[in-house]
Amino acid sequence: MNRVGNVVRMQLVNRQTFIWVPLLVLGGTLAVTLMIWAMLPPAAVKYGGGAQAPMWYFFAVGIMGTTQTFPFSQAMSVTRREFFLGSLLTASLTSAILTVIFVIGGFIEQATNGWGVNGYFFYLDWIWSSGAVVAAALILFMTMTFFVTGFAIATIYKRFGPAILTIILVGLGLLLVGVMWLIGRLNAWGQVFGWIVTQGPEGLAIGLVITLVVLSGIAYGLLRRAIP
Amino acid sequence: MTINDVAPPSGAAESVIEVRNLTKRYRDAVAVDDVSFSIHKNTIYGLLGRNGAGKTTVMSILTAQNFATSGDVRVFGEHPYENARVLRRMCFVRESQKYPDDAKPIHAFATAKLFFPNWNQELADRLIADFRLPVRTRIKKLSRGQLSAVGVIIGLASRAEVTFFDEPYLGLDAVARQIFYDRLLEDYTEHPRTVILSSHLIDEVSNLIERVLVIDRGQIIMDAATDDVRDQATAIVGDAAAVDAFVAGREVLHRESLGRVASVTIAGALSPDERSRLTAAGLDIGPVSLQQLIVRTTQHADDTDATASDTRTTTKGGRR
Repeated sequence: MNRVGNVVRMQLVNRQTFIWVPLLVLGGTLAVTLMIWAMLPPAAVKYGGGAQAPMWYFFAVGIMGTTQTFPFSQAMSVTRREFFLGSLLTASLTSAILTVIFVIGGFIEQATNGWGVNGYFFYLDWIWSSGAVVAAALILFMTMTFFVTGFAIATIYKRFGPAILTIILVGLGLLLVGVMWLIGRLNAWGQVFGWIVTQGPEGLAIGLVITLVVLSGIAYGLLRRAIP
Repeated sequence: MTINDVAPPSGAAESVIEVRNLTKRYRDAVAVDDVSFSIHKNTIYGLLGRNGAGKTTVMSILTAQNFATSGDVRVFGEHPYENARVLRRMCFVRESQKYPDDAKPIHAFATAKLFFPNWNQELADRLIADFRLPVRTRIKKLSRGQLSAVGVIIGLASRAEVTFFDEPYLGLDAVARQIFYDRLLEDYTEHPRTVILSSHLIDEVSNLIERVLVIDRGQIIMDAATDDVRDQATAIVGDAAAVDAFVAGREVLHRESLGRVASVTIAGALSPDERSRLTAAGLDIGPVSLQQLIVRTTQHADDTDATASDTRTTTKGGRR
């Protein structure tokens, strides 16, 4: 297991990618959002969507972590299993840092009535509707899902090249459109949204865990036969 | 600086790598074709061959970076694939090695220190100074030669029991190449290990390597001690007319002349009788060029194989 720990250190050897850039993205969007809120009437309740910005960055980190660091890990005589576990552990650790910031930010917004201007960046009603623990789990799993999605896409690219990857992504898009068409055809949108709302943040958290497990399984299966 | 100065360690014939019937087939070509060989412990090997002969593929499969289509590879008696116990004793930095996007040489070395149990930081620092490598410049901004130096430093300072160097001299100037050869030999003398050096600059590494493995079109066409290979031929140097008279009737491998002086490489060694005739004729024995011998062998294999290899890819089945 020590070597898995060393993979974490390898990924973090340049702390910029995993720690400083996501924090910079988060700090930057928060600053911009607060400035915009300061220009708006303080009475109105305002929600900011900028909190998801660092999550999208994790999608890019997932891709870079595979295409760039995997070949290097092979030169370091690291097994594919060690690389996979270590990379996932790194993503968990840095996602946890982000989660802690989110939760603390949420508490600050509750305590200060949204920075004194009724603006909510971290404390988004629906996410917090089942309490801080569920909100934390949701943020953690969401960030990791972004990372693992990037990781899985990069392993598909490594194994099968750009053409197959594009076909898979377009196929998924078509599937989604097909499902949407079917729901519209059955006039079931009301029921679908109703179902999503009743699942609550807990339901979404469970859904994200399932997605994480499936995507990790795909990524690991492909990585086992990947060539640097 | 010749390899003869280094006493062969005891148990030199013990093998660290065993390859049996290794084949690597890509969709439209056979990169490695039913190859079997052993790598002896504590020996410097030259893995020689033309570009595209299969050198990098073989090294990738031995280190489990790539996969064999069929055949068996054992390193320290075990399968290397997903085997940390075996892999940590090996080091293979490829010629086209990729590094993390924003990594600097200093990051690469710090990481190597984590994974290679025998890593020697002193040696790494000395090599950094020798190669004048800017350790705080992003690796993707380095020149080709500096990029090679990063790989060479990881390979040497890791002191792995089996170390592969894949055309390590690309982009290095003559001074840097000599530094690499000198440091390799020095460190090898103090810390014997198995080194497999792939190269197509055969004469440049010929003083370094103890055994040669020549690979051509995915097949091992020579696996011998360097000295034995050299003994397969003799170079006769002297007055052109006298040399030509002396070599009459012998198989001539190579001929060079400058003015009235000629150097002719003939197959085989000289008998004591021939040696005295040589002296009587005022001729000398010169150094045999390993490169000439190997080029000759490769071309010979080409001639006899030309028709066979054309059918090879089609006659064998498409087994994965």
